[in-house]
Amino acid sequence: MPRAKEIPAPRTKKGNRIQKFNVFDAVLFVFLTLLGLIIVYPFYNTILVSLVPQADYTRNPFMLWPERITWESYQFVFDSPLLLNSMANSVKLALAGTVYNMILTVLMAYAFTKPIPGRNFFRFYMVFTMYFGGGLVPFYLLIKALGLIDSFWVMVLPSGVSVTYMLIISSNMSALPKELEESAQLDGASDIKILFSIILPLTLPILATFSLYYMVERWNEWYNAMLFLKDTAKWPLQLTLRNIISSANFISTQAMTGDVRPPTYGEGIKMACIVVTVFPLMAVYPFLQRYFLTGLTLGAVKG
Amino acid sequence: MFMSPTLNQSHDYVDLRTRKGWKLLGKKIWQYKWIYLLMLLPGIAVTFVFKYMTMPGILLSWKTFVPTFGDKSLFGYLASSPWVGWAHFSRLFKESAFWTATANTLIISLLKLIFGFPFPILLAIMINEMIFKKYKRVLQTVYTFPHFLSWVVLAGMAINLLGDTGVIKRFAMLFDPTVKDSWNVLYNTRYFRTLLILTDMWKEGGWGTILYLAAIAGIDPALNEAATIDGANRFQRIVHVTFPQISDLIVIMFILSVGNMMNANFDQIFNLYSAPVYKVADVIDTYVYRLTFQSTTVMDFGFSTAVGLFKNVINFALILGANWASKATGGDGIM
Repeated sequence: MPRAKEIPAPRTKKGNRIQKFNVFDAVLFVFLTLLGLIIVYPFYNTILVSLVPQADYTRNPFMLWPERITWESYQFVFDSPLLLNSMANSVKLALAGTVYNMILTVLMAYAFTKPIPGRNFFRFYMVFTMYFGGGLVPFYLLIKALGLIDSFWVMVLPSGVSVTYMLIISSNMSALPKELEESAQLDGASDIKILFSIILPLTLPILATFSLYYMVERWNEWYNAMLFLKDTAKWPLQLTLRNIISSANFISTQAMTGDVRPPTYGEGIKMACIVVTVFPLMAVYPFLQRYFLTGLTLGAVKG
Repeated sequence: MFMSPTLNQSHDYVDLRTRKGWKLLGKKIWQYKWIYLLMLLPGIAVTFVFKYMTMPGILLSWKTFVPTFGDKSLFGYLASSPWVGWAHFSRLFKESAFWTATANTLIISLLKLIFGFPFPILLAIMINEMIFKKYKRVLQTVYTFPHFLSWVVLAGMAINLLGDTGVIKRFAMLFDPTVKDSWNVLYNTRYFRTLLILTDMWKEGGWGTILYLAAIAGIDPALNEAATIDGANRFQRIVHVTFPQISDLIVIMFILSVGNMMNANFDQIFNLYSAPVYKVADVIDTYVYRLTFQSTTVMDFGFSTAVGLFKNVINFALILGANWASKATGGDGIM
């Protein structure tokens, strides 16, 4: 059937076609907005609970707007020696861990771009550890034998190299034009010099992405700390938070945090702890989103 | 110093059947010595210590654990623990808690596969159809954010919302005041798995869209234009253009998820579960943890090593299967 003559779609000044906003769009808009609200609400609720006085919360936990605001919960958090200590430990852990992980990862990623003998063997050696391991008890006994129990480094050292990140960085490095490296080699630059003055500057956005990933992983660390750190003074924030959340009544929380004041508003303090834990990430996420979101798609580069 | 051969020299063929080949190999290894020593070695060594050195411990599965006191050697516990043959495994297959944990692992993974797997695909298609570009960016920021939080934090928020004094219960009480004493999702065996699936979707759904959105962005616009000219409406374009174009990626992602079925997210379950729901929520990882560190009866590390090994072997077999399937469907292997 011959088609009627095409009527050109209306266009804006810039030449973009104006799409008609139909029922389909409206449904989509409402659904996606609702989903967004479902994701935002728990965060909003957490912040609210941490800010209102206890009386208001017990009377009406389902509120959309605080009637009165109090900073008592936050005062408690920032007065508690255990929590302050945990924050310092977590910051230390995030920084030390990221530096350690990145150094190992980047060096190894660069080594894998070279046609060294045994490359496939070493690649398999690394990938194998992603899918098979000794399990919990052998790991526990190993850490014990290494004398890492109750040591800060038990949270850092075992994390080592993330094989996935290493392989993605490596394939991105080998996707760089070979001529850059060759001309530097002809000029007599050493491998270290090539890595630092050519390869790293060119892969900087990728390195930023994976540094962020490592930093978030170390910030979120609680498992090894729970297994191996008996001394609460060495705990990271996540583990302290976990213990505060799971303590059934607030008296035990106060006993744990070394606070001698009369029992106060438990839920508020728990939520204040959560806000403090999430805040650093929440503050940078919208601005660094570009880096956070590119990691997975970087893997598409073939190595 | 630290110089590896220039790249054009480095493609000589090493033939190990000849003496010359071995010499060439030796020469190449020597040429790359700094790469090996400075760059490869640190990572290899750390991986060896913290990954490979746990593997001899697997032998405990056939031993009964006897701790060594004052012995600082790495594998002293292996020497001091006597062999018991397959005793742990025969006990294992008679243990009802073990079968519960295995069944729960598979059920929870299966539910996550059925509900959690398609969700990011649908969401990605919907986000792609959204016409307000700026608003789309904002939504994406919101959707992907929870991925970066730990389950410790999310469990804290979930317990506050769903617990005994929580908002959700108060809200439910508005409609039905009788729920006052009974309704706590966190302790209810009927709802707990649903809770696991939904919180998992809440956390990872948005993050899961990223790969699909990248794939959709890579679709040739000509295909969509051609479909439009042929009179396809939006829904038809999604079904006949977008979906077939990302189906390869969907297949690969599905294979990977199946390969990962034995890992039912320890972090999530461990932070959310409690004794009343062990029956429906205890998975192999949490079972091994409690056997090892919270067992009230006489416990043998050898037994929990055996349980862990059982899981690891099945897991590894699934991964190999996934690797094979991924290659068979024309994708890259994962090993």
